[in-house]
Amino acid sequence: MSLFVESLIARNTEQVSLRQALRHSYTCVLTLTFFITAFLSVKAHANTNSPTIRLFPTTVVEDLRQTSSVAQEMETGLQEVIGRLDQQQQLYNESKCDGAENDPGCQRLAKQIGASYLDMLGIMEERLPDMEHTVNNTRLSLEKRLRSELGNKMTSWTLQETLLGGNPQESASVTSPTMRGRSGMRLSERFQQYYKLVASSSSQSDQSLAVLASDIYLDMEETSELIARTREEIARATLVEQLNQSFGTITPEMMEVVGGVKSILFGDDDSRTQIAGPPPASIEQAYRSPLEQ
Amino acid sequence: MNKSPLSNSTHTLLVIAGMILSAFTLSACATPPPACGSPTTNNLHDAVAQVKNDLEYNGCAAHFDRFYDDLLRIAEGDPRPENKRLFSEFLVWTADEGLLSQRQAKDYYNRYFNVKFMTLQGDYNNCSHTCPARGKIMRDMERELSDKERGLLKVSLDNDGYYRADELYQEIELVLEATCTACAAGQ
Repeated sequence: MSLFVESLIARNTEQVSLRQALRHSYTCVLTLTFFITAFLSVKAHANTNSPTIRLFPTTVVEDLRQTSSVAQEMETGLQEVIGRLDQQQQLYNESKCDGAENDPGCQRLAKQIGASYLDMLGIMEERLPDMEHTVNNTRLSLEKRLRSELGNKMTSWTLQETLLGGNPQESASVTSPTMRGRSGMRLSERFQQYYKLVASSSSQSDQSLAVLASDIYLDMEETSELIARTREEIARATLVEQLNQSFGTITPEMMEVVGGVKSILFGDDDSRTQIAGPPPASIEQAYRSPLEQ
Repeated sequence: MNKSPLSNSTHTLLVIAGMILSAFTLSACATPPPACGSPTTNNLHDAVAQVKNDLEYNGCAAHFDRFYDDLLRIAEGDPRPENKRLFSEFLVWTADEGLLSQRQAKDYYNRYFNVKFMTLQGDYNNCSHTCPARGKIMRDMERELSDKERGLLKVSLDNDGYYRADELYQEIELVLEATCTACAAGQ
């Protein structure tokens, strides 16, 4: 019995030892796996092209989203009245009212066009301050980041290195944004595109961020100036049109303004230019000179 | 019989005149200085050898710019990717021989055969240094771009390299415009 108990104890002891050994090796394996995974993830993180310049903090991203939303509201508000203006103008032309201003029907049409034009000016007067505010916010935030990150923390050489990324011989990154000249696109779509590009900026390289930030900043600067000039003009145009209403005339200037607003808000297909790409390269360049900087 | 003093001085004058004349004659027969002319072949390897000879043995170091231009012209007549290596090796040789400094040799090479713009070399930040001279920098970059067109496109058939340089020029123009506007607004 004692032998049996002893053997049982021995076996138990063995089993306990075995269990302990297994537990111990299991713990070792887990710990090793943890450290290997941690090491690999750190290495992988160091190897990825994660951006190191902070051009798009969350405030700028939010400002862009706001600008896009305000632009969309303005487009929606103006779409109906501009559509109405187009129809009325078409009717005016088809009725051959040009040169027949004394005709009562034509005078009535002209008054209707004038009233729609005043509606358009009223909507712009109402929405433009919001647009101006959000555009300015975006512009000022970006200005600060550009001045800090690219202006004060970089030399011309390091800026070039940033734009080239890792390998200067490679073609430009696929995600690099289109350069200036975004005509042919709705205003809200433009800001929406900016917002999408910026919101995914954590996966982009420094080279594309620098170009994107510069493009958006200069666009905001121009937009801001345009909005300021437009607001100044609206008061004058409203007064002139109110006077014209009493005479029932349509001025060419009025139609120019409507045309201009349409092209800014809804884009202008005719102005989209095609730029030829470079001819395909035929030979791979493998040689790197020791003199290369 | 006494010799008259006049004939003595005349004799002396004649001797001196004779010596001067001999000296002129001898110098006229001396080897003329080297012409440092352009290479006389359209084969780039042979042209490089001629230029090396002139630079090393004929005292033509002052004509280096013209020689380099001649070699580029000859290479344009036979464009191939290997030309890049040839120019690199030639420039390494000139630096080793002390005809150019290392920096000069790098400048000559990178200006023509690298995507990067040597015009943008600088040690100071963009707001304080690059922006005040932005106009001049862009003009210099434009000139450098045409050198790169010659070196990358016409001499070594590196189309991709040249188009990347062209794109880089436009990107730098855009980014500098934005950055310098931001710098000016902060002042």
